[in-house]
Amino acid sequence: MLIYAINRILQMIPVLLVLTVVVFSFIQLLPGDVIDTLVGDEEAEDPVIRAALMKEYGLDQPVYIQYGIWLGKALQGDLGKSLITRRPISVELFESIPATVYLGVVGIGLSIIIAVPLGSIAAVKRNSATDYTAQVISLIGISIPEFWFAIMCVLLFSLHLGILPSSGYVSPFEDLGQSLLYLTLPALAVGFRQAAYTTRLTRSSMLDEMNKEYVDTARSLGFSESKVIYKYTLRNALIPTITISGLQLANLLGGTVVLETIFSWPGIGQAIYLAIIDHDYPLIQAGILVLGIIVVVTNLLVDLLYRVLNPRVALN
Amino acid sequence: MTSTELQHGRRSIEEAIKPPTAAERLARYRIMLQDALGELYKSKTALAGALMLLSLLTVLLLTPVIAKHDPVKQNYSSIRKDASAEHIFGTDRYGRDIYSRVLWGGRRLVVIAILAVVFGLAIGIPYGVLSGYYGGWTDSIAMRAVDGLLAFPGILLYLLIVTLAREWHLEGVWNDLILVFALGFAFFPEAARLVRSSVLIEKQKEYVEASHTIGEANLYIAMRQILPNCLSPLIVNATVRLGYVILIIAALSFLGLGTPPPTPDWGADLSAAREHMESNPMIAVYPGLAICYTVLAFNLFGDGLRDIIDPRMVER
Repeated sequence: MLIYAINRILQMIPVLLVLTVVVFSFIQLLPGDVIDTLVGDEEAEDPVIRAALMKEYGLDQPVYIQYGIWLGKALQGDLGKSLITRRPISVELFESIPATVYLGVVGIGLSIIIAVPLGSIAAVKRNSATDYTAQVISLIGISIPEFWFAIMCVLLFSLHLGILPSSGYVSPFEDLGQSLLYLTLPALAVGFRQAAYTTRLTRSSMLDEMNKEYVDTARSLGFSESKVIYKYTLRNALIPTITISGLQLANLLGGTVVLETIFSWPGIGQAIYLAIIDHDYPLIQAGILVLGIIVVVTNLLVDLLYRVLNPRVALN
Repeated sequence: MTSTELQHGRRSIEEAIKPPTAAERLARYRIMLQDALGELYKSKTALAGALMLLSLLTVLLLTPVIAKHDPVKQNYSSIRKDASAEHIFGTDRYGRDIYSRVLWGGRRLVVIAILAVVFGLAIGIPYGVLSGYYGGWTDSIAMRAVDGLLAFPGILLYLLIVTLAREWHLEGVWNDLILVFALGFAFFPEAARLVRSSVLIEKQKEYVEASHTIGEANLYIAMRQILPNCLSPLIVNATVRLGYVILIIAALSFLGLGTPPPTPDWGADLSAAREHMESNPMIAVYPGLAICYTVLAFNLFGDGLRDIIDPRMVER
């Protein structure tokens, strides 16, 4: 297990390297002078300051050295300054991570609460009306764009019924009740699509599991059907389900860029979106880097967790 | 044996190796089509998806005929009109016919999505086939690169590329080509890995050995003999991918990062409709429904094809 973990962490290095190279090249590929892109043209107007800044970022040196300097700074947490707010980017992004995690965790939790029962009932009652209904709903669920679903929810619950706020954010530490009220619609939008995926997954891994021999053995020993299904089959079926929903996190985080924007949710997705709109290049660069690292590291953790839960999986 | 019989026999051998005439070829295609339709009838899902796709494609092909109004021309004498015989879906805030905009937007979206998936396949197929066919260290290196790319969150790549296109003020066809490139490039690792796994199984078979014995060129065996037998899972994957690509394009346009106005675009039109949601909610409904319908059609068809190709799934 330890060797596997070390191997997996080593495998992560090339991925992170690709990520940093892509993010670094982004600034180089933008139109205009790199120095204007990085510090804004007002600050770089004075030729003396400009020359000093050029030296600091290594712009008088070959590209690979510039990359080295940038990477070194990034590793120390220095991601530059926002062109708009003039604050250090690491601070800006750090403040936005909790909101994204809050939304993501509640959204995934909600999806599991909906999807696991629905998927397992569909599998147990295979080819029944319940099964077909669950299948159709989940197929429609993965076909609906989440931003449209979000808008329709706002239309219904905020504009029409007026029971939930249409956008905004309150920290759960300030006022939990209000916070949950503001969380409901965004979490529903995140959870809905995820629930559709997870239902399909639960159903197919339940079916895989129910075809295995231990199920027959358990039945022949006289265990009740509900005990066989809920105590043994479901538990085993949950392992791949939860793993794959963890790996879906990349999709989910991508979706948060759209959903956070719709609901004015002050997370990292909205920060990236606003940076793109404001042409705040260093913030775009850093935001994508941080989001990318979060995705890669989470994938690693989920993968390792999977091996812990299911030691039978070959360690190669 | 009389000489006429011998002659007859000889003639039929000659006939057998003669290239088929146009009529024979047509007959053969007809049998293939009948087979395909027969298979389609076996899966209700595939049939429903095929019918939905067929009607979608027909409508999009006929758009210049059935959409009477110019999707871009503004008409201030009929702003935000409700549905009527003249404007089936009503008009938007610039007096443009929503029905025409939905159809023209769909034409563009589906063409971009198909081009993107074809581009991904065009890189992924040769990459995967050659990697799997030659094996050895070439294969190892090629697949490590694919692993790295698969771990890279696609949505972040699209955001970076679309931002670059925006900063360089790319417009019209160039903007569309950038989308095709970004979405296609993100698909190629998946296609490559999928086709490689089929090639690994297929290259063990006897006909491949026979071809080697005859002395066929490696490239010919790989691309003309093995590849056609590996296409089925790829077709399923590409179909489902089309739906996903359409969702991504719509999401990017929704954020205002895809197509600049006034080009008709489902995502961008939805986003514009949000401002008038209280007074005129229906303009937010039509483009959304169009996206749902299209993505659902591709997902249904893909799911059904999977059932047909992998009969193990149907029994479930």
